Amino acid sequence: MSLTRSTGAVLAKELKIELRTHDLTNTVLFFVLMVAGLFSFAFSPTVQESRRILPGLIWLAFFFAGTLMLQLCFVREQVNDTLAALRLAPIDPSAILFGKILANFLFLVVTEIVFVPIFSVFYNVNVWPVMGQLLLVLFLGTFGLSVVGTVFSAMTAQARMRELLLPLLLLPVLAPVLIAGVEATSELLGAHPGIGREWLSMLGGFDVIYVTATWLLSGFLVEE
Amino acid sequence: MRNFWSILAAYLAAWAIFFVYSATVGRRLARLEDEFRRLRERVSKD
Amino acid sequence: MGPAGDGQRQQIDGTVQEMEMTTKSKQRVWGLAWVATAILLALAGYAIFFVAPRELTMGNIQRIFYVHVATAWCGFIAFFISFFGCIGYLASRQMEWDWLAVATAEVGLMFTTVVLITGPVWAKPVWGVWWVWDARLTTAFILEMLYIAYLLLRKMVTEPGRRAMISAVFGIFAFLDVPLCYFSIRWWRTLHPAPVIGGGPGSGINPVMWHVFLFGLAGFLALTVILVRDRYRMEALRQKISELAADLEEREESLESKEVTR
Repeated sequence: MSLTRSTGAVLAKELKIELRTHDLTNTVLFFVLMVAGLFSFAFSPTVQESRRILPGLIWLAFFFAGTLMLQLCFVREQVNDTLAALRLAPIDPSAILFGKILANFLFLVVTEIVFVPIFSVFYNVNVWPVMGQLLLVLFLGTFGLSVVGTVFSAMTAQARMRELLLPLLLLPVLAPVLIAGVEATSELLGAHPGIGREWLSMLGGFDVIYVTATWLLSGFLVEE
Repeated sequence: MRNFWSILAAYLAAWAIFFVYSATVGRRLARLEDEFRRLRERVSKD
Repeated sequence: MGPAGDGQRQQIDGTVQEMEMTTKSKQRVWGLAWVATAILLALAGYAIFFVAPRELTMGNIQRIFYVHVATAWCGFIAFFISFFGCIGYLASRQMEWDWLAVATAEVGLMFTTVVLITGPVWAKPVWGVWWVWDARLTTAFILEMLYIAYLLLRKMVTEPGRRAMISAVFGIFAFLDVPLCYFSIRWWRTLHPAPVIGGGPGSGINPVMWHVFLFGLAGFLALTVILVRDRYRMEALRQKISELAADLEEREESLESKEVTR
């Protein structure tokens, strides 16, 4: 079975589980909603201020939501040791990782599509004119988050204190994505909306680097 | 000498870190060597 | 104990004696190395304060340069070796590579801590603030976080083979991240001075300063080498101890079973 087809099969399996239970999407949607509220209680920004802090806020909310969600993607395979069954399947081991990466990416993308308008309302920043570009920036960053997060989730699945460990590993590694993402978003939401091509290519470049590293290392991660 | 205290503080901090880290490594190493020796004696005694 | 057990015991005794001899002479050599490094660092300290000339624009505070830059280099060299340790482990599955990776990561972290402490002390009188989030400072900060995470990860996984593999994968991701971090911030204006040494045309350094710097660097590099060696030896000893403990347990079990049959 080719890598794309087996990746598709793993992705379909993840989506089927999620559509049956809605565990991840429900939790993450609630979490982001809560964070959107809490940030405004903590800073009570004026309209002017919220234009300035909103980019960072959106990114932090999705980053924390992502680390929460990614925790589960390998841990929940352990309950019935279904990962062993996946490993036995005659497919490239990287297909397991890539399938899960795509699934996590899709869950986060859904959350973002729902929440960008809500953030826009809560913080009185009109994002409609730049909606398409904003989502593009968010998707590029989220893809990096899903790739690294899924890889680290596979790594820490058997570690002690994994719930605490994953954010500690993930957040410093994702710092460049956060920096580039927040900068690009600030430019979009600034007084003269526009997008620097360098930020987009930088985010895209990060994704390519992370995917390449994952592809090279996936054999070590899924084996055993 | 301008900034004398800053320089002194920086150097003291740096040297303190070197010293403390070297001492901890030395202590941990000595403890492991001890344990190794003890176990080895037990193995060759049996 | 049967004849097989005796043979095994003789073999163990033989290797034990052999090890005793080599460790004795080795210990002497490394003890000397420690003394030499301490003297070298003390001399470097003297040279920094009494031999090196005063810098014209920054004044005496510039003397932090010798320790700040030299430790930064040592830290970075250590992390670089750690990166190769990670790759080496994944390629060969030899524990020695993992030991090298963790030893250099920990020593590198120690040096980065020194860099992060001496930096703000230097920045305060020169820039007027302790800290700015520019490319170099942020990268140094992220570097510190990444290797703290690396060491934490190692603490949380107990099985040595698994720990070696997981931390090697993380180590590779962490090290690849450093240039990404640097370039993602370089788009902002950077406050940190450009490298004085080898920073292209216009950069340069007084020859006396340069020699003092090299002297200090030699001391810190020597410190790096012996610390890495000691830290590496700790990992090697840990493995030997767990092997011996397993061996002892096995024997006790076999003795017990013999008594039961008797």
